[in-house]
Amino acid sequence: MKKHLVPFLAIFLITSCGKDPKIDDTMLDSGLYFDQSIYNPEKYLVSIANPTPTPTEAQKPVIIAIHGYGATTFEWDEFRNWKGLRTDFSISQVLLGGHGRDYQTFKNSTWQDWRQPIINEFEKLESQGYKNISFAGSSTACTLILKMLADHYFDNHIKPKHIFLIDPIIVPGNKTLTLVGVLGPMIGYTTVENSAGEEKYYFHYRPYETLQQLREVINIVRKDLEKGIVLPVGCTLNVLKSEKDDVADPVSAVLIYKGTKASNGTSVNVKLISSDLHVFTRLSARNPTPTTTDFLNQTNAFNEISNLLIK
Amino acid sequence: MKKNKLILKVLGFIFILFRLNTSVSYSQLNKVDIGIRFQKTVDLYYENGITGQYNFSKRVVFGASYITSRLGSAINSNAIKQDNFFISGAYLFRPNKMLQPFTRLNIGYFTADYESPIFNNLQNSSALLALDAGIIYSFKSPLKLNISLGYNAITGDGKQGAGTLYPVYFQTSVLWNLKKSNSK
Repeated sequence: MKKHLVPFLAIFLITSCGKDPKIDDTMLDSGLYFDQSIYNPEKYLVSIANPTPTPTEAQKPVIIAIHGYGATTFEWDEFRNWKGLRTDFSISQVLLGGHGRDYQTFKNSTWQDWRQPIINEFEKLESQGYKNISFAGSSTACTLILKMLADHYFDNHIKPKHIFLIDPIIVPGNKTLTLVGVLGPMIGYTTVENSAGEEKYYFHYRPYETLQQLREVINIVRKDLEKGIVLPVGCTLNVLKSEKDDVADPVSAVLIYKGTKASNGTSVNVKLISSDLHVFTRLSARNPTPTTTDFLNQTNAFNEISNLLIK
Repeated sequence: MKKNKLILKVLGFIFILFRLNTSVSYSQLNKVDIGIRFQKTVDLYYENGITGQYNFSKRVVFGASYITSRLGSAINSNAIKQDNFFISGAYLFRPNKMLQPFTRLNIGYFTADYESPIFNNLQNSSALLALDAGIIYSFKSPLKLNISLGYNAITGDGKQGAGTLYPVYFQTSVLWNLKKSNSK
């Protein structure tokens, strides 16, 4: 039985607490650990690293890798490290708007803000002549990518080749998110128990305003999926979803499978992963230490992504 | 559009029943009510269906319901087809008044159809345990309306339970008393 009464009681007990959290210097929230992509964008964004590609380079695959809610580009660092010195494809790691800076900036951001850097990087690459662009999203990034598809964003742009969704969230694991509109103003924020290693890369505190934004965008996209989303011509969609995930309920994969079709009417590719991690492709700084199976799942996913990219 | 037509037809049916029976005495003994139930889960689906209840005493009412997204959000959409079967026991606080506050305990079974063997490893069924509270309005005719706010104690959390079983819902039921109707 789900113990929803416990968070309810906890929420009401802390109603009298202050609405702004006490942030210490070890946290990303403090503003002391801006995401590295802000200082060194050339290391993260292909559009800045190579703004004038040769015709050959322009044909090589570029994958825009996007992290989830409350995270930073750190979430895709392991993919970049795994790629190493390979030159058969490039990775552009995008920092979502409002993320990777400090608590107040995060608090004041909307889901449209979060999405804007994805659009910016895609349009820059497009204008620079890149022809083979794909997307990889984790968690909320998947929701934002699906929203772009639902809005027919690509109708007036070059079509992405492949889209990879890692642990997409359409249905939240923690169903109390549905009550954030009522309870949020009372509690002000929620807390995430990051490991020490995660504290500089993931927000410790989640302002209820951003939780409302998260709730809003997943509800919008759920309804878009109910109506049906058709992929751009020639684009594949590949969902990799942990079978147990207390952040993004695995049933999210069912909704995407039912709600999305390729341009020729065929079903999209969905694979359930035997894992209980949310964003199973990010293992760095995890506590407890990931298992051998976790590392195998990660490597298999990276292989699957790269193999499709260079096919 | 089809959904709107269906709602209009249902409302028309209710209106006709109401008009046909306005002369029935309110004081006549009644035991069984049957009707239709409309339910909206917060942040999820409309699930509609049928409901019936047995008025065990002035204050205690037992009921049974079947609601499904097949008659709601899943009509002509990609929403998950899911079914809820439950029985209930309610307690009425002002049984002799037309406006009766009530509280109700519901237990039952939930199942969702994921429609592909890809998802065989995901849990798609669950026990139901819910508490709801609201008001019943008894018309002078055999018609009764109730509306309530409910809370599902059992929901999916991503690691166990059915993922589309959410905590909070609103429901309204339109009930028709068989005894009053027959005794006209």
